[in-house]
Amino acid sequence: MIKLVVGTEALFFVVLIFGYVYFAFNPGYSPQALRLLNIRSTGMFSLFLFSSSFTYWRAEVNFDKGKLFRLKVWLTITILLGCLFLFGQGREYFNLFRENLIVSSNLFGTSFFTLTGFHGLHVFIGLIMLSIVLLLAFLGDFDRPGSSVIGTVGIYWHFVDIVWFFVFSMVYVLPHFLKQ
Amino acid sequence: MTYTCQILLTIQSVFESATVEAEKVNALTFRFIIAGSFIFLLVVGLLIYVSVKFRAKPDAEPIQVRRNKKAEVAMIGIPFLMVAFFFYLTIKTMEATEPPVQNQKPDIIIVGHQWWWEARYPVKNVVTANEIHIPVQKKVLLQLNSGDVIHDWWVPSFGPKMDMVPGINNYLWLYIRKPGIYEGTCSEFCGVQHAWMRIRVIAQDTGDFQRWLTAEAMPALQPITGPARSGRTIFMGLTCAGCHTIKGTVAMGRAGPDLTHLASRETLLSGKMENTDENLEKWLSHPQKIKPGAHMPDFIFNKDTITALVAYLHTLQ
Amino acid sequence: MGPVRLPRPQSELPNLNVSNDQGLLQWISTVDHKQIGVMYLLFSVLFLCIGGLAALLFRIQLALPNNNFLGPEMFNQLFTMHGTTMIFFVLTPAILGFSVYFTPLMIGANEMAFPRLNAFSLWIAFFGALLLYFSFLNGGAPDGGWFNYAPLNEKQYASGNGIDYYCIGLLLGGIGTTSTAINLIVTILKCRAKTMDMRHLPVFVWMVLVNSFLILAAFPAINAALCMLLLDRQLQAHFFDPSMGGSPLLWQHLFWLFGHPEVYILILPSFGILSEVFQVFSRKPIFGYKLLVGSGIVIALLAFGVWMHHMFAAGLGITINGFFSASSLLIGVATGVKIFSWIATMWGGSLRFTTAMMFACAFLVEFTIGGLSGISFAIVPIDWQLTDTYYVVAHIHYVFIGGSLFGLLAGLFYWFPKMSGRMIPERNGKIFFWLFVIGFNMTFLVQHALGAMGMSRRVYTYPDIPGYGTLNFISTCGAFIMGMSVLYLLYLLMKNKRHGKEAPGDPWDAYTLEWMTTSPPALKNFGALPPVFSERPFRDLKTERLGKKNIN
Repeated sequence: MIKLVVGTEALFFVVLIFGYVYFAFNPGYSPQALRLLNIRSTGMFSLFLFSSSFTYWRAEVNFDKGKLFRLKVWLTITILLGCLFLFGQGREYFNLFRENLIVSSNLFGTSFFTLTGFHGLHVFIGLIMLSIVLLLAFLGDFDRPGSSVIGTVGIYWHFVDIVWFFVFSMVYVLPHFLKQ
Repeated sequence: MTYTCQILLTIQSVFESATVEAEKVNALTFRFIIAGSFIFLLVVGLLIYVSVKFRAKPDAEPIQVRRNKKAEVAMIGIPFLMVAFFFYLTIKTMEATEPPVQNQKPDIIIVGHQWWWEARYPVKNVVTANEIHIPVQKKVLLQLNSGDVIHDWWVPSFGPKMDMVPGINNYLWLYIRKPGIYEGTCSEFCGVQHAWMRIRVIAQDTGDFQRWLTAEAMPALQPITGPARSGRTIFMGLTCAGCHTIKGTVAMGRAGPDLTHLASRETLLSGKMENTDENLEKWLSHPQKIKPGAHMPDFIFNKDTITALVAYLHTLQ
Repeated sequence: MGPVRLPRPQSELPNLNVSNDQGLLQWISTVDHKQIGVMYLLFSVLFLCIGGLAALLFRIQLALPNNNFLGPEMFNQLFTMHGTTMIFFVLTPAILGFSVYFTPLMIGANEMAFPRLNAFSLWIAFFGALLLYFSFLNGGAPDGGWFNYAPLNEKQYASGNGIDYYCIGLLLGGIGTTSTAINLIVTILKCRAKTMDMRHLPVFVWMVLVNSFLILAAFPAINAALCMLLLDRQLQAHFFDPSMGGSPLLWQHLFWLFGHPEVYILILPSFGILSEVFQVFSRKPIFGYKLLVGSGIVIALLAFGVWMHHMFAAGLGITINGFFSASSLLIGVATGVKIFSWIATMWGGSLRFTTAMMFACAFLVEFTIGGLSGISFAIVPIDWQLTDTYYVVAHIHYVFIGGSLFGLLAGLFYWFPKMSGRMIPERNGKIFFWLFVIGFNMTFLVQHALGAMGMSRRVYTYPDIPGYGTLNFISTCGAFIMGMSVLYLLYLLMKNKRHGKEAPGDPWDAYTLEWMTTSPPALKNFGALPPVFSERPFRDLKTERLGKKNIN
């Protein structure tokens, strides 16, 4: 079921990414606007997000083995890493606002904030789901094996990560290389 | 068949081909009508046949046939061949009627506005509105643009239509055979007065067309009579000049139609009314009643102002 | 606090009859797929009346040239709401209603996979519809046409709130539709009777399955477009604003990337219903089962490859036009295969012309007309002539009404005994049939001619060109006949629900598992199930063909 949800949401992001890339070529984004992006800082926070997939995988493995304490530890780390990512996004947004780049400034602002904004929203929803899973874990719901909840939420969380991989590549990495 | 065509031709229809392009499209359409009728009659015929022949019988279940390879091949194969044939004709007709524009310069640039047409003739720097003159017996290239939302330029007897998309140059080739008046309409919903964005094309022999074009290129005639001159003063003094252009005067507004030769047109308001003094008066008194939603607001003029303005506009031959 | 656990029922669920009057609160809070199915259908009928009323109003305006019954602003709101309502809040709930009611029954399941999600989907879609209509009370309904092109839909050209209601109403409706699609897919893949193989699914269930994937793949495009539009309108973004580099054509691409699959979403379940109706009332198995399922899948895939045929007049160039012409012609072939398969089902059969069967047969004629006019649009130069005229209006109504709705009406008459426990007398059903068919054809057949005569669509009035007035007047009369016949249908449904003859479990001697239950089915659909060896498990049970290698 979650795969179907992920499938339909993936197509939604495909459309948004397509829009972003299309406008990047036609009519193209202003170089000044692109220069405002901070690839280093965002890159670092992206690493946090990518590693949260790893930590979630560890949580799943430990759940399968029945190691409940470790499950809770890895889950908590995952949530922290996700929060750090969102914090990083917030910082990036704040810096852009300070430079007067908002969604209505120009086409770049429009595309950038929409694409990253919807991604951030999906991360936020993921964090809510992860917190619920953590809470249920503390309530003892996963004391016995057989639940599909952890795997299901995992698929969604990995999806959110994979989307960010593509978004980060298109928005941050690609212009960096095209500039040379 | 000829009889049907005659009936079709007495009423306005796409089947009246006024251009070479329309002739080619209609040839394709007729072929399709034949193919389509064949399929339709086949389906209806089969339906009637089975309905009669296989009515419910009281005895046991009929033979439970599930497949018939021959029938299956036929029902895929025959339509496929038919569509392949029409695909071939489609490409050929597209290439013959609207080939891509390489670097040719357009003869006429038509800009769609809410809810009127602007026409520019680059060759003589002419700008006019609503009634568009096109020379016949010549392959003319129209460039179609929009000043606001998406519009579409279509004269049924000319054949193809083409959207006018803001920010994009679209093109339409036309080779009109005979002079005459051809009517059409905006064909993309563009807001409240989309219905009254009618098209009026006056197709003319080269000589007549050149004469018209030269006359259009002239600045506005000077008004002679008293009322007309006071009309001009009023026009230039009020906001009229801010929205409309009258060549040779200080009125250089671009928001509304060019009025330099308004009096030479047969209709007003993109085909809504005939161009008479009476109708002009009605329009000026209460634009929002005549064409509600039009961007010309209800100015509150008194009767004398209107009479003067109409007198002035009347001189704009 | 221990783990959260649902109580395990100690005994069989009681055999409740769904039609017992259990009070409004029970209905509103139910998660039973049959009740939800019925509510979807009621939702659909409600908006059919509202959308139909809008149509009658603007048909009055169009009955005469230069008419002033309605001004342009009201006219534009009415035709926009008519289209939006009919597609999203009439046809969609109707197909979802039949899908959630009958899919579990046909696969031998007792419930959908996610009953609460099922209820949520219904209510959020209903809320979306209410929100859309609320716009009338807050500055005016959306007035940009149901396809709402940019930049006409931007704030500077549509300064009221109507378009914003359109966006949010459709986003909510879309969430409902998408959730139901997910629910249906999981139900079909996971909740089937253990012996029911995928290759023995009834054609209706196959169509519902394919359709659900189509929904999941198509809705993201319009969701993205609506979000972008809301951003443009509310936060001054520039997606569709050409002055800042945005693209009005982007709206068209996204909208039609959704819009074309959407029309297949609306028709595939009807194709499924017709497959069931044709086989039962011809007393023969459906001809070309594999062909029907296969063509359904082909249509679903091709549906994503044809969208630019809505943009042939937008100046995209011969190469693009050619490609989409080819794909559109091909999708016509795939659809034609179905028509011939259904006729072949009837061939050699023993035909019973019940009301359901009559709608099915009428569908063959009407949908062929609609399909042919559609194929004419795949031929680009013909499209250049006739797009955006009343010829399109004729085409879409022949496929929407003559296709989708006739299939749904066949389903209604076929399944009414099962859902309500009562029969509709054949004579009355047929009176409705003839009234509706006559009204429908009178309304829309002449519109082909109007289009060929150059009448543009979405015009609030027209000049007195010879022929326009007469044909429009005829069309309006037909619309009123349609309106009256729908009122008659409502009367029939209400009257027979109360006083109709009681229906047995299997009034039609039908083939699929839903007929094995009582009419209406008990709360728990099935006690026991026969093993499934074909797509006609109930027939196999009745005629003692279970387990035998079926040549017949």
